Amino acid sequence: MGELNVVGKNVERVDIRAKVTGRAVYAADMDMPGMLHGKIIRCLEYAHAKVKSLDFSEAEKMPGVVKCLGPDDVTSKTYNQSVIDLMASEQEAEWMGDIEEQNIFTKHVKFYGDGIGAIIAESEEQAERAAAKVKVEYEPLPVYLTPEQSSAPDAVQFVPEKPGNRAFQLPAEMFPNNCLGWGDVDEAFKEADLIVEDRFYTPKQKQCQMEPNNYIALYDDEGRLNCWASCQMPKLAHVKLARLFEMPMSRVKFNQTVVGGGFGARLGLVMEPEVCALALAVPGRPVKIQQPREEDWLSSPSRHPSDYWMKMGFKKDGTPVAIDAISKNFKGGYYLDGSALASTTGFWLQGMYKVENLRYRGESYFTNQPVCGAYRGYGNPQTNFVLEQIVERGCKELNIDPLEWRKKWHKTVGDNSWIGFTQYSSCALDECLEKGAEAIGWKDKRAKYENQTGVKRRGIGLSVGQHTSGAAPMILEHTTCTVRLNEDASAELLLACSDLGQGSHTTLRQIAAESLGFPIEDVHLNVGDSDANGFDIGAHASRTLYVGGNAVKQACEDAKRQLFERAAKKLEANVEDLDMNLDKEIFVKGSPSKSITAKDICEVGIYNFTNPMTGEANGEAGQIQSYVSYMPDHNSPPFFCTFVEVEVDMETGEVKLLELVSAHDIGRAIHPAICEGQMEGGAQQGLGMALTEEMYFDENGKVKNNSFTDYKMLGASDMPKMTNILVENPDPHGPFGAKSVGEAGLVTPVGAVANAIYQATGIQFTEGPITPEKILKAIKEKEVAA
Amino acid sequence: MSSRILTDFDLLVPETVPEALEMLNRLQDQVTVVSGGTDVLVAMKFGFDTPYGMSLAKLAGLNYLEFDPQQGLRVGARTTITQLLESPEVKQYYPAIWESAVNFATPQIRNTATLVGNLLRASPAGDGSCAVYALGGKLVFSNEAGEREVDIDDLWVGYATTARNKDELATELRIPIPAANSINAFKRMTRVNEDLAKLNVAVNLTMDGNVCTDARVAMGCVAATPVRLRQTEDLLKGAEINEESLKSLMATVSAEITPIDDQRSTAEYRKQVSGVMVKRAIEQARDRVTA
Amino acid sequence: MNKLSVNLRVNGRGYDLEVASNKTLLEVLRDQLNLPDTKYGCGTGECGACTVLIDGEVVNSCLTLAAAADGREIRTAVGLEKNGQLHPVQQAFIEETAVQCGYCIPGMVVKSVGLLEKNPDPSEEEIRHWLEGNICRCTGYEKIVDAVKSASKKMASAEVKAVG
Repeated sequence: MGELNVVGKNVERVDIRAKVTGRAVYAADMDMPGMLHGKIIRCLEYAHAKVKSLDFSEAEKMPGVVKCLGPDDVTSKTYNQSVIDLMASEQEAEWMGDIEEQNIFTKHVKFYGDGIGAIIAESEEQAERAAAKVKVEYEPLPVYLTPEQSSAPDAVQFVPEKPGNRAFQLPAEMFPNNCLGWGDVDEAFKEADLIVEDRFYTPKQKQCQMEPNNYIALYDDEGRLNCWASCQMPKLAHVKLARLFEMPMSRVKFNQTVVGGGFGARLGLVMEPEVCALALAVPGRPVKIQQPREEDWLSSPSRHPSDYWMKMGFKKDGTPVAIDAISKNFKGGYYLDGSALASTTGFWLQGMYKVENLRYRGESYFTNQPVCGAYRGYGNPQTNFVLEQIVERGCKELNIDPLEWRKKWHKTVGDNSWIGFTQYSSCALDECLEKGAEAIGWKDKRAKYENQTGVKRRGIGLSVGQHTSGAAPMILEHTTCTVRLNEDASAELLLACSDLGQGSHTTLRQIAAESLGFPIEDVHLNVGDSDANGFDIGAHASRTLYVGGNAVKQACEDAKRQLFERAAKKLEANVEDLDMNLDKEIFVKGSPSKSITAKDICEVGIYNFTNPMTGEANGEAGQIQSYVSYMPDHNSPPFFCTFVEVEVDMETGEVKLLELVSAHDIGRAIHPAICEGQMEGGAQQGLGMALTEEMYFDENGKVKNNSFTDYKMLGASDMPKMTNILVENPDPHGPFGAKSVGEAGLVTPVGAVANAIYQATGIQFTEGPITPEKILKAIKEKEVAA
Repeated sequence: MSSRILTDFDLLVPETVPEALEMLNRLQDQVTVVSGGTDVLVAMKFGFDTPYGMSLAKLAGLNYLEFDPQQGLRVGARTTITQLLESPEVKQYYPAIWESAVNFATPQIRNTATLVGNLLRASPAGDGSCAVYALGGKLVFSNEAGEREVDIDDLWVGYATTARNKDELATELRIPIPAANSINAFKRMTRVNEDLAKLNVAVNLTMDGNVCTDARVAMGCVAATPVRLRQTEDLLKGAEINEESLKSLMATVSAEITPIDDQRSTAEYRKQVSGVMVKRAIEQARDRVTA
Repeated sequence: MNKLSVNLRVNGRGYDLEVASNKTLLEVLRDQLNLPDTKYGCGTGECGACTVLIDGEVVNSCLTLAAAADGREIRTAVGLEKNGQLHPVQQAFIEETAVQCGYCIPGMVVKSVGLLEKNPDPSEEEIRHWLEGNICRCTGYEKIVDAVKSASKKMASAEVKAVG
């Protein structure tokens, strides 16, 4: 690869000026003539109930009310707000048992906050006041908050297709005995010198993206349904809405507004069906829905909590002989991506270590809780919390340095990856571990913190991980990209890749500029417009840079090839002998005077005239355009590690975060500062999952902390000193060698902080988040036992 | 469930205290006083509803902080937490109050919320309330007939309820000058740094050398209102303050409180750490003086 | 519900308005004055997305009655630019790549300006303590803290230049 001009540089983010000035327009900031306001009526009395009656008679009399809608006033077609159904083949979906059981407004309330109807009024305040006048009669049903409760024989069935309320188990058609893995686990345990086994709980963490979900929809005079929202997957939302409302896609337009954070919360649909149903009820008038944070919390998906059991066998020398695991996920009230999450939780497990025998069973059970869907890491933080603590305990029992153990047993190039049947194409985890260990002073601190006494005790912990770069080949991967060269040789790219804030519109623009050989200012991305943009999955699975980047790269390289072919004709040279400088002059290598500008070629392609005297054209006709429909045939997972140092107060159980070092094998950093930003932000969420973040419920299923008042995230002064190290080891498949970094930053801080607390206290905590309450209780119990 | 919109009310904006008192006399409990508003506006978004709101934004004459070496501190009802933090006298003589102000909510809230409002909110978790309780003081209530002082010990009559009468406006908080050789401090525990307390404690000890001659110990988040730990105070009085005596306190403290499980912590945990927190607050007060 | 006549001075411009008694400053800025740079994030004073400067002090506009802001000087993110030049804080946020989704950023920028106007040379600890009350879910605060430090230096050198 020659010298890079744009890739690898911290260019100014394309969106940043609008954001620092406050001029970036989010969905809530949009106002339209004649706009109405919608208010969703939610069940806040029960977590499980039948709606016996919905009485709008008083609400209808309230000032400003335009329409009241119940379940029978909107389409009765059911849907699944997740998108997993679009990404698997029909056969696979059938095996997996994916279902579409959601209604826009429900008559069977399945969680606290489930939507049962809506008011449309002239103002937000009028809609709100009218909603308070709606009278609802419920028939309460028993509330199930754990898989044990909902799978009891006499439990009310959530849907007929899922007996025992088991939403999912790994299908026997694809996974023999409903398990993934290899070898003979039961036999292998007999050979083990040490068996470590425990049962864990991983918490229901909320994405807490700062922009609440806000929507506008308009059923216009052309008979088109328009929707404006900050969805992570605008093209899949486009097709889902078209199917739900039984309209051709040409009559549905999805406009992706500036996305104020995603982290999985807006992966599929959230309230797009509701706002579109409202808009269809009032043709010609836009309808806007804005919700208070507390309702946003209930009406959007969270991370799946899990009851996660694991058993691991070791030889005396540390050789891992077998891993056995069962993850039971709490599904919440609806199915969503019940199949995918329970599967990937096991994939991350099988991707990590060279273990001869492995068995994983993944299941999901309906519960009366707000829905669970995608959240950054998609099962990986859960597995990290469990696996990395189990490994840590094994190392301690066997008196093996946990850093050396991981260096020896992690999978690497050539080993079967998390996908099982494909191999890792690159891995620089050893370099990550060495650099990280040195940066935090692992060896000295680890030794120093053994056998402490006193009130304040320190600990240092480590965790490793591997994630994904896109979803291939497990499920659909596809990005299309069109490149159009304007007559002045500037480039317009049309694609639907999402920037949730992670910076992908900037990094994709860098890749485009580099691949075209153009200055970055000459490249523009047209995004967020479903009329103009071709297919793209959307932002999930850390795919945008890896898959979208390759799509952009191929399309741009094709445009450049066309440009060079025309230049070659004009210069009477071979394409291979041409080069282009940053002034976009194409010249013959070695004879720079033989040159033509890209602008001359592009211009003549568009303003193409035939000489009336000679009949000859002034150049090759036709605007240069390229198009790719890119489906990757590979996946290049990133590897990474995190070290965390803590201080635990043995009298109060409080944990102080002193330092965090993460090192990521990202292949190549297209924009180093953006890569670091992913790691830094990921750390805040991963540390939070381990220490403070959890949605919890009273016995009736009411969420007790659906607000920033009582769901606490680490703030600026809680965060440790951070060092984030980018290890560049270009991958043969990634664009310019790049692998993903989006989700990974969250994963390893989870296990690392748990392991640091383990070293400080000598106690492992199996239930997240690890609060001072749990720590102190365990310390007291240990004291009593001693 | 919260709303993005406040409940309906007519807003009154008095510009003088007499004008405000006249309104209160006329409307009594139909009116909600909005001073800093940082608590009451949140309550209104959660449905708290009265026909009238009375904003003190333009009320002249209640925004002051006056210190007199003999009389002590006078805090006007409109004085914000930020103003307390900016006062060298508060920092020097009333470190418990200053420490309660440093981490009080957020800079935005500190700029708006008032200490008097914190007392009137009568939350068991109020950091300012806890600190003032340990120091002792009197809250001045005015109505059209005149004014009266209510001792801080008599202010909170139940959860979120004070001794304020419906026609009264709290106008001033008076905190005496701490006794010579006295030390005071405030500490709290939270889930993350920016948070409501899961437990807070303030101590105010009069010392004769190493011997404590008088003590006030206040604790929050362990009962329906902030509480004084009378038995602990009695144990401290006459005791020498050393490792051993502080350690022995830890058991008595937990016996004096009746905490509950809530969003921020558990009853069990609060019992377990309450003694540690009293011990640490006393050490903090002592070490500051030695330093 | 009554309406009150108020005069608000926002980003240097005066507005005479009628506001409903129950409207917060946030609602009036966004819905009546068409200044949507100030954001709703939680409505309860926890997240800081609605932070504005009132007479130089940082305040949650979601917990401020619009009528109570009568006669006051209000500054928001969109008004920080002077003569086509970004505020040094805004410039520093750009240079440090301290922005991801951007939703918290107008409040974060205003909050930082509020700090540096009072304390031109804050320590890292002071910066982090001050940023409490403004939630960012994207950046882990690392580059935001760097940006405030860098802005502090920018403003100091601009001051020296102005004096010199």
